[in-house]
Amino acid sequence: MLRRWCTVSLLSFTLLASVKADSFENTAIVRTIDLGGSLVHVTTTFAVKALEAGSQVYTVTLSDAEKQQTSWLEAKVKGQPDALAVLDRGTDSTGAVHLVDISLPQALGLGATVNIVLETILTHSTHALPERATQQEDQALKHKTGLFVLSPYHTAVQRTKIKSPSPTIHSYTTPENLEDFTFDATVTKSGATLTYGPYNNIAPSANEGFISKHQQPIVVHYKYESPVIEVPKLRRVAEISHWGANLNIEDNIHLRNGGPALKGHFSRLEHQTQAFYKHTASHVIPGITLHLPPGIRNTYYYDLNGNVSTSRLRTTPSVPKDSQTNQYSVLELKPRYPIMGGWNYSFTLGWDSPLEDSAGYDKTKRKYIVQVPVFTPIPAAVVNDAELTIIMPEGATDVEYATPFPAFSSSVSTHITYLDTVGRPSITLRFKNLTEKHALPIYVSYKVPLSAHLRKPMSVAMAFFSVFAFGLIARRIDLRIHKTLTV
Amino acid sequence: MPLAFPLPSDLSPATVTNTASLLRIVTLCFVSGAAIASRLFAVINFESIIHEFDPWFNYRATRVLASKGFYEFWNWFDPSAWYPLGRVVGGTVYPGLMATSGVIYNFLHALNIPVDIRNICVMLAPGFSALTAWATYMFTKEMKDESAGLLAAAFIGIVPGYISRSVAGSYDNEAIAIFLLMFTFYLWIKALKLGSALFGTLAAVFYFYMVAAWGGYVFITNMIPLHGLVLMLMGRFSSRLYVAYSSWYAIGTLSSMQVPFVGFQPVSTSEHMAALGVFGLLQIVAFTQLVRSHVSSKQFQNLLFLALISIGVLGFFAMVGLTYKGKIAPWTGRFYSLWDTGYAKKHIPIIASVSEHQPTAWPSFFMDLQFLIFVFPAGVVLCFQQLRDEHIFVIIYAVMASYFAGVMVRLMLTLTPVVCVASAIAFSTLLDTYLDAKEPDDAEESTNVASPPSDAQASASKKNNKSAKPAAATPGNALTDLVAAAGKTKSKGIYGLDTRLAIIMNAIGMLAFFVWHCTWATSSAYSSPSVVLASTNPDGSQHIIDDFREAYYWLRQNTPETAVVMSWWDYGYQIAGMADRYTLVDNNTWNNTHIATVGKAMSSSEEVAYPILRKHDVDYVLVIFGGLLGYSGDDINKFLWMVRIAQGVWPEEIQEPNYFTPQGEYRVDDMASPAMKNSLMYKMSYYRFSELFGNAQALDRVRQQNVPKVGPTLDYLDEAYTTENWIVRIYEVRKEDLLGRDLKSANAFAKGKKRKRSKPAVSRRRSLK
Repeated sequence: MLRRWCTVSLLSFTLLASVKADSFENTAIVRTIDLGGSLVHVTTTFAVKALEAGSQVYTVTLSDAEKQQTSWLEAKVKGQPDALAVLDRGTDSTGAVHLVDISLPQALGLGATVNIVLETILTHSTHALPERATQQEDQALKHKTGLFVLSPYHTAVQRTKIKSPSPTIHSYTTPENLEDFTFDATVTKSGATLTYGPYNNIAPSANEGFISKHQQPIVVHYKYESPVIEVPKLRRVAEISHWGANLNIEDNIHLRNGGPALKGHFSRLEHQTQAFYKHTASHVIPGITLHLPPGIRNTYYYDLNGNVSTSRLRTTPSVPKDSQTNQYSVLELKPRYPIMGGWNYSFTLGWDSPLEDSAGYDKTKRKYIVQVPVFTPIPAAVVNDAELTIIMPEGATDVEYATPFPAFSSSVSTHITYLDTVGRPSITLRFKNLTEKHALPIYVSYKVPLSAHLRKPMSVAMAFFSVFAFGLIARRIDLRIHKTLTV
Repeated sequence: MPLAFPLPSDLSPATVTNTASLLRIVTLCFVSGAAIASRLFAVINFESIIHEFDPWFNYRATRVLASKGFYEFWNWFDPSAWYPLGRVVGGTVYPGLMATSGVIYNFLHALNIPVDIRNICVMLAPGFSALTAWATYMFTKEMKDESAGLLAAAFIGIVPGYISRSVAGSYDNEAIAIFLLMFTFYLWIKALKLGSALFGTLAAVFYFYMVAAWGGYVFITNMIPLHGLVLMLMGRFSSRLYVAYSSWYAIGTLSSMQVPFVGFQPVSTSEHMAALGVFGLLQIVAFTQLVRSHVSSKQFQNLLFLALISIGVLGFFAMVGLTYKGKIAPWTGRFYSLWDTGYAKKHIPIIASVSEHQPTAWPSFFMDLQFLIFVFPAGVVLCFQQLRDEHIFVIIYAVMASYFAGVMVRLMLTLTPVVCVASAIAFSTLLDTYLDAKEPDDAEESTNVASPPSDAQASASKKNNKSAKPAAATPGNALTDLVAAAGKTKSKGIYGLDTRLAIIMNAIGMLAFFVWHCTWATSSAYSSPSVVLASTNPDGSQHIIDDFREAYYWLRQNTPETAVVMSWWDYGYQIAGMADRYTLVDNNTWNNTHIATVGKAMSSSEEVAYPILRKHDVDYVLVIFGGLLGYSGDDINKFLWMVRIAQGVWPEEIQEPNYFTPQGEYRVDDMASPAMKNSLMYKMSYYRFSELFGNAQALDRVRQQNVPKVGPTLDYLDEAYTTENWIVRIYEVRKEDLLGRDLKSANAFAKGKKRKRSKPAVSRRRSLK
């Protein structure tokens, strides 16, 4: 699962990347772009034929814009569940494209074929157009991408399908000057799907020559009927307590409607009228539904002004750790006000869950292992900046952790709370541009000696004992200067 | 001596004292527990939230204190209040409350107990009510004995008159002030009894704490001198009084002047002159006493008395002269309104506009004190029985506080402790009498009959006191019983168990009903945060109406941080606390003109109000409108006060009668007066309100009047936000027209242009529905 293409890219910057263009040939490339609000899913299938025996590393490329927008990348052999190892090699020697190496499970023989499915999720790749909309107007987004999938290999046929969530596509680019590749219509629209291609017989395209000559941007302007949810900031604190057998998770979420900004002003009358006719404007966030872990207790949801009384929670009991049931507690969050375009809403959400649901004990290493999810997935939302702090019990030593994907930055510090004497070790990790796919657990392991467990009751007992001892002595000391007879 | 019921006889005195002491401690613990628990209705029914209006400011100030430290708080200038004037908070606030919370917060955090400052603020009042119960116990113990003390502690712990100002979340000065009041009084009594400079100093220290905590400290400042004066007039001057008063006054006054908000007031304002005068008088009397003890000539004494009186008279005239000259500030308006209840309404409408400054209605005495209000006079009368120095204190306190409580609802709070103390004395005397197993034997009775004067003389001693208790009155009427006892009527004594049981059951019944009443009053009347409203769903579950926080949170999250919000002053502290935005006026009503300016803007037409709004950089205007839901505390109901206060400053521009119909009615429907209909407040309240009802007649549920079908239009303001139940409506003030037209014509032009083009607009509107 570990894909270190992000960090390794730094290392590989120094290696001048180059690709042997004649080891593979793409018999077909089909790219499907699922347009959305905050997120755009791109699935590219490469039908690959090996031109050399023993070829094992296949290289795909991303343009500059794609590289910045890609927050998730996964490659698989079609029909197989396991993801392939990928390696980011940074920009190539000319600086035109980013290279990503995919290691195939076994080397291909001459002429052998394989289908590689590359799945990426783009964030911040759509923009509202028009940028401002009134309460009654619809919301439309614009997405921009390149016409060709750039590949360092020769491509026999290539096709790009763009699926819009609604059949109303306001406009799309019709590419021109494609006589080299096709004689048919360059683009066809059927329903909510645009198809660019098929384009035939494309030379190795991941080079400046091809890009400057043939690559052109295509822009799709489409109607989008759900709100664009953006989380500019998410801060999660997970506190592990052995005494309470409790894992407390508290999220500080800053929510924002990333759709078109509200033009004019919010009218409650219009809003209530729309609600009455069951025709609420599509770009309003009336609330969000979150799936929390099963077996949680003491759930709280408040903001700076106190408890938000409009939420509903349905909990399910804890499930055994290794069971495959897909149970969760459902929390329907309703903000204090409907979040119109460009509006913000920040709140705090937290809960306690039984520690045994997410912790285990490794007898050989004498270590506890606790899994903490990076964040609770918010459907169709992008988290721009996430910070996760995991607080271990007091006195924990040998703290190690493993993240499912590399953190942007990490630091270790000491957190002091609840009658602590020496404080608790804590890890702080930062991530950028998280999507639903990133809601994976982080594994933390640590040792807690028995003395650390007993530290708190001992210190509290000592404190009380000293107070009583002081009282015992103070009662028996007479500080009067001279004895007076008082009545 | 015959006994009505058998008593164990084989107990050692040590066992009895130890058991009594343990029982006292346990009882006090339970009383504290009950005091705290009964104040938690607000947290349980709603949540841990700061209530009402003033507490929001205290909470905000405490947050500054907790996060930035004491010196930062001391020098805090708040630019966001009273925009554009700002407010020097450190110098215009009683910091005792915030300092207390800050100390608790820092102490807990030093122990690594991470308690949120909000929870400390919410729980401060219940915590201090437990201390109040203890202080009242100590005070009453000095008056009678421990059992009366325990009763008084139980009474003050749950009496609604005190709970009304100290439920969890009611984070106001009174929360800690009543404890300080009772404890200072206790220390004063103790100092007076012992003639102790130590207790006098302690009283001064707690007096200083009180000065730092509540403006009501003036009550102590006048109660203690009054007590001293009365004692002197009764010829009870003693060195104990001299030591106690002098140490209290000297240290108390000097330390109270350290509070910036008080400053030099203790030596320059009329409210504090009584204390100074009594202090001077005490010195003169002491000096006279000294001289008298050395000189025996009767004529010299006469001379001295003459000198004493002339000095007193001269001092009084000097004070009057200084007041006249302006060296000593005259009484403040709030003080005058204590003597003349009509004064405020005539001269200072802003004081009269506050509901808690109204005279008390008589049912609220029963609501707040229940049966204590009947027993209270009996307790005061019982104080006359022994009339020790401290009993005089209770009598004076009772008289003064009863008067003030009748004048102002708010001062019910100062009456409550003395009611509890006096009732506890009366009630405990009753219980003492009827729980005592001894029956009068005939011999004793005959001596009593034989020598009534000796009985009256010896009434201070407890034993005879009991025998003096009458059984003449009907056993069911405890009250006449007690009054009769105080009047020292001849008695026969109590015989048998049945008479005792009748009285005791009756008394227990009263106590039980008291507890029931207190619980009911607390849970139903005094535990609403008023920030959050509650209603009941058809299925019986609680429905929370959270419009205030909705609006404030919207302001906080979606407006620029420097936005200026104009609202009536009631909501100033809440906007500052919850929305964190600049406000024009708030609940610290120090600048009448500024408030009148807001009143004028609200009660004028748009054209007149707009320049005022622009000059004050107002970005948003917030009004409270209860017409949809029937929330009666809204701005239209407060509107006449805005008009009156504005009229006080601009009498020729705003006139109250213009807002009534020719028949003198206050209406908001078609019949409303033109001034009313054109006022900014009316327009903002009812803007687009009738459209909500579609074709039906729009009804204002508060005033039960039908609102005009064609609602008001706004040219200078835009509706920016309206909450779910329309309680809070926020309007944005438009900027000047870019082309230099006035906004009304610009608006008309824009509309006209639209109308000309608007053949397709009709279909556009239809498509939207």
